[in-house]
Amino acid sequence: MNHKKTLFLIEVAIFAGLALALDMIPFLQFKIWAQGGSISLAMIPIFIVSFRWGLKGGLLSGFLWGILQIPLGGYVLVPLQGFIDYAVAFTVLGFAGVFAGKIKQAVKEGHSKAYFTYILMGVVLGSMLRFAAHFTAGIVFFSESLPDGWHNAWIYSLVYNASYMVPSMIICTAGIYFLFNKQPRSLLNAAA
Amino acid sequence: MNNMMIIGQYVPGNSIIHRLDPRTKITVIFFFVVFVFFANSFWSYALLTVFAAVSVIASRVPVRYIAKGLTPIWFLIVFTFLLHLIVTKEGQVAFEIFSWKIYTGGIAQGIAISMRFFLLIVVTSLLTLTTTPIEITDAIEEMLAPLKKVKFPVHELALMMSISLRFIPTLMQETDKISKAQASRGVDFRTGPLKERIKAVVPLLVPLFVSAFKRAEELAMAMEARGYQGGEGRSKLRELRIGKIDVLIYILFICVVAGLFLLRS
Repeated sequence: MNHKKTLFLIEVAIFAGLALALDMIPFLQFKIWAQGGSISLAMIPIFIVSFRWGLKGGLLSGFLWGILQIPLGGYVLVPLQGFIDYAVAFTVLGFAGVFAGKIKQAVKEGHSKAYFTYILMGVVLGSMLRFAAHFTAGIVFFSESLPDGWHNAWIYSLVYNASYMVPSMIICTAGIYFLFNKQPRSLLNAAA
Repeated sequence: MNNMMIIGQYVPGNSIIHRLDPRTKITVIFFFVVFVFFANSFWSYALLTVFAAVSVIASRVPVRYIAKGLTPIWFLIVFTFLLHLIVTKEGQVAFEIFSWKIYTGGIAQGIAISMRFFLLIVVTSLLTLTTTPIEITDAIEEMLAPLKKVKFPVHELALMMSISLRFIPTLMQETDKISKAQASRGVDFRTGPLKERIKAVVPLLVPLFVSAFKRAEELAMAMEARGYQGGEGRSKLRELRIGKIDVLIYILFICVVAGLFLLRS
């Protein structure tokens, strides 16, 4: 076990913890739906890990964030919905990490426009995938619990999930923009 | 905020349910969640309700904690109930409101679906109310152990889960400290237009992230200095043990499931 691997495990774990913590701090968030789906900055740590450690780190920290919401009190109403909402939805945020290499390259060469574009693409990709997962879970849930012949499950799911995902995405994008504007190097360069 | 801050919903106690092995609780609750969907008659729901009620009483968790877990779901329960009432047209006409016919089938289905949500929430929140998050991650590690054979990094995953949980209070404290420090310099987090508020958060996030990197680095170093080698041959401070009550609970639960299938219509 080399130093880099241990550091990877710890950093990914601590940043998943940071995502959970940011979701719990009252003045940093704004809950619109009591049953989950709050607007907060919690996605930022996951994106940072994705950009630092690439796809693997991003997926892993997202997965941890999702899974740990269950013992901390998540809502599973239909088993498949629970699986998608917690195990899948947060994991796919890590796909932002596909741009990690390009971002690091651009930061190294000092192309600020290029790295902002890649960061933005990463954040949007991750958020869209997360939205797609919650949307699917919502359809599973509503079609399971609404009366037969009621075909509007996808509208409910779309409205409900977009209501917090769109503002969250905007807030996190803005937050990440300001962060990288200030400190691109200290956020990206993994130690060792 | 203090060091002993409890995250999640755990209510300390020493009831039978608290003392059960977390693996037993997770297994039983998992299958309960699955089998709730098989209930389709009055008596099958009644049986599951009795099981849930007995578990709640045995856990000695004050009812208000359970009610708190239900509050966010109320809206959903009422909404689906009303929808079933309005849309389902089975059975006989029970009564009319403003010339809209309410059918008995609709009432029955509405009650059944609401009951299912209610049972699911009560039983799953019983797990988080009586089990600490750390116990749950320990149990998950044990339960995933067979996956080690296919090279799935069970130990690493469990280690990361415990580290995440362990650091939540620390990180919240840190956030609190930094936000106070920045507020004393005049940063305003709570008011102003959205753009300004997000900008205000940056001087909070930068030190927070940098200190989190530093913590990670220090912890990794400390673990290696103490000879951390990964999962092979590591022992545990808290060993999980299946006791007599666990076996008893499994038997009881199997009886409940058997009863459920007998009472299905």
